[in-house]
Amino acid sequence: MDNKRKYVIPGDVITTGPFRPEQNVVLDGNKIISTTVGITEIYDDSVRVIPLTGKYLPKINDLVIGKVVSHTSLSWELDINSCYVGFLPAQDVFGRDFSAHADELSSKLKTGDLVAARIANFDRTRDPLITIADRDLGKIDSGDLMKIAPSKVPRLIGKRGSMIQMIEEATNAMITIGQNGWVVVTSDNHEGLLKAKKAIQMVDEKAHIANLTDQVKEMLESRSES
Amino acid sequence: MGGREATMVLLDENGIRCDGRKVDEPRRIMIRAGGLKNADGSAYIEFGDNKILVGVFGPRDVHPKHMANTDTGILRVRYHMEPFSVGERKNPAPSRREIEISKVIKEALEPAVMLDKFPRTAVDVFIEVLQADGGTRCAALTAASVALADAGIPMRDMVAAIAAGKVADTVILDVNNEEDQAGQADMPMGYMPNIGKITLLQLDGVLTPEEYKKCIEVGIDGCKKVYELQKQALNDKYFGNRD
Amino acid sequence: MANIIDELKKNQILELLDQGKRIDGRNLDQTRELSIEINAIPKANGSARVRLGDTEVICGVKIQPDRPFPDMGDKGIFICTAELLPLSDPSVETGPPGPDVIELARVVDRGIRESHMVDLSQLVIEKDKSVVGVFADNVAVDYDGNLFDACSYAATAALLSSKTPKWNWTDDAPVLAEGEESAVPITTIPVSVTMGKIGNHIIVDPNADEWASMDARITITSDSDGNICALQKGGVDGFTQEEIFKCGEISVRIGAQIREKLKEAQKGA
Repeated sequence: MDNKRKYVIPGDVITTGPFRPEQNVVLDGNKIISTTVGITEIYDDSVRVIPLTGKYLPKINDLVIGKVVSHTSLSWELDINSCYVGFLPAQDVFGRDFSAHADELSSKLKTGDLVAARIANFDRTRDPLITIADRDLGKIDSGDLMKIAPSKVPRLIGKRGSMIQMIEEATNAMITIGQNGWVVVTSDNHEGLLKAKKAIQMVDEKAHIANLTDQVKEMLESRSES
Repeated sequence: MGGREATMVLLDENGIRCDGRKVDEPRRIMIRAGGLKNADGSAYIEFGDNKILVGVFGPRDVHPKHMANTDTGILRVRYHMEPFSVGERKNPAPSRREIEISKVIKEALEPAVMLDKFPRTAVDVFIEVLQADGGTRCAALTAASVALADAGIPMRDMVAAIAAGKVADTVILDVNNEEDQAGQADMPMGYMPNIGKITLLQLDGVLTPEEYKKCIEVGIDGCKKVYELQKQALNDKYFGNRD
Repeated sequence: MANIIDELKKNQILELLDQGKRIDGRNLDQTRELSIEINAIPKANGSARVRLGDTEVICGVKIQPDRPFPDMGDKGIFICTAELLPLSDPSVETGPPGPDVIELARVVDRGIRESHMVDLSQLVIEKDKSVVGVFADNVAVDYDGNLFDACSYAATAALLSSKTPKWNWTDDAPVLAEGEESAVPITTIPVSVTMGKIGNHIIVDPNADEWASMDARITITSDSDGNICALQKGGVDGFTQEEIFKCGEISVRIGAQIREKLKEAQKGA
């Protein structure tokens, strides 16, 4: 059994050995089959596929970027680029003394506003509960929103944040990455903003490439020296 | 569309069909994964003169709400023909034929898709036939499977499809429009190539028990050929540029 | 389209416009790149696949004998439709079209009809009994704003490329004359130009983000002679007289550029 990373599509048999099936695979008899387009990863006795496409499935504690799409008198609904609509209760923003009569939700957040938020709770039976009551969370007042495939977020962050640090240092931009694939880029410097956006786009398009870091580095350096 | 003259030769003495193909030869097939900007996944197929576009959205919120299932995501399929896709202009409203084909394609995809991780959501597959030339349901199913994979919908296998049939008492692969109109039998088939299960099967026409078996064999072989092209389309999009 | 634009982008669009710039780098009176593929649907009598930026529309023309409208026995029939396919955008729902889509189809139809692009008097098989019907059906397959112009260009390009069969009146019925095809009789080439108003700025060919941000819009169709032949104002704000004059001038000027592209596309076919 070779442990080389393989490119797979749904239905491809990854291995028939005694392995433990993890994400994006199914066991069929003794065959482990990929259920998505992606790259195989076999370590120790487990097999999984890192997907190259697909929607964001909320996980508790994930940082996401959300867009307010509507509100009632008690809560906001957020588009979090997921299978589910995010639910932000008014108490989270107004506090415990929130009164549906006295407090107007649109005074704090209105349709079209972007927020940095966290998934506070989520299970199979309910839509994800969102919170913005924490440091660094809340309404986003400036920057550019970019959209990348949620499956490529880990690549954009890189090992221990290496990729994103490299981009931020080279461009002086500030980048907030939502696990849902929405990314906000802020910079005082127009050139730096454009370059950071280009780097993020590169990661989105070439996430499956082995020497991606070198390619991004090269792009970042080439422009800055010219 | 409409009746052809009975004088047309469907199979000549050298075993060549009315469009120049051999009995076991499919028409020209081209599949592209992706291409639509707003859809979560998409595919385009040219299958002979069929031209079909498929877009997939989801898993996403279900509207109307009462359709939602609390245990699993649901699959919805709409097969639709453009007014200009056929000989005589088609009324844009869905016909009974389109509704039936939508249903059989949905049921051909359901054994492959795995939506239990997405309760209360829907995956919508929109199939648009831009030009029809016999065998649209097989071409549509083939493209829909690629579009679902492109959208990242979990699937235990791809579904590839092609029709077997009978003209001039001979079993053939990939029935074209003329053969469908004037031939003796048409058997569209959808198949999961790795798992080895038939997920779409219909028959119009009369077959002997031997011909029936032969059609199934020819159809499965044909589906395997189509599957290679599905694979290639996904490889081209996702792994085309490896360095 | 019920797309909600995020506030950051909307503000950005406004800030840039105040500096005379647009979010995608275009000039205010510049259309997006237009690509036209003639004969995309070879089995139709005429067809075109048009991309205006990332908005994509396919138009197929079907030509067949039909009964004339009452009191119009000496004229053929021309009908142009437009539909947003559900795969074009996540917000599109299946089922009967809503008011936005009905308006779209009617505006596109009106622009071509009122220009008298197709000479309907030449499309009579037997007066009062049988005429030729020309159906131009537009379907939008990808949405990035301004479907009005994308549909209009697709229909016009498809009509320019269309060949009509010939029917003879025999035994009280139209009978197809095999092998006698000719170009559809064309008198002029109408071109619509849609402009959006955001704040006090007029922009040509709004993309989806601009479309979602604009206060009002106007679609003006001009013909080959540079005359204005159809017009539709939409949106919640109004236009001043000065703005309307300016839009008229822009539509004729930009229309002439687009007309050349429509003609050019026919040559490759």
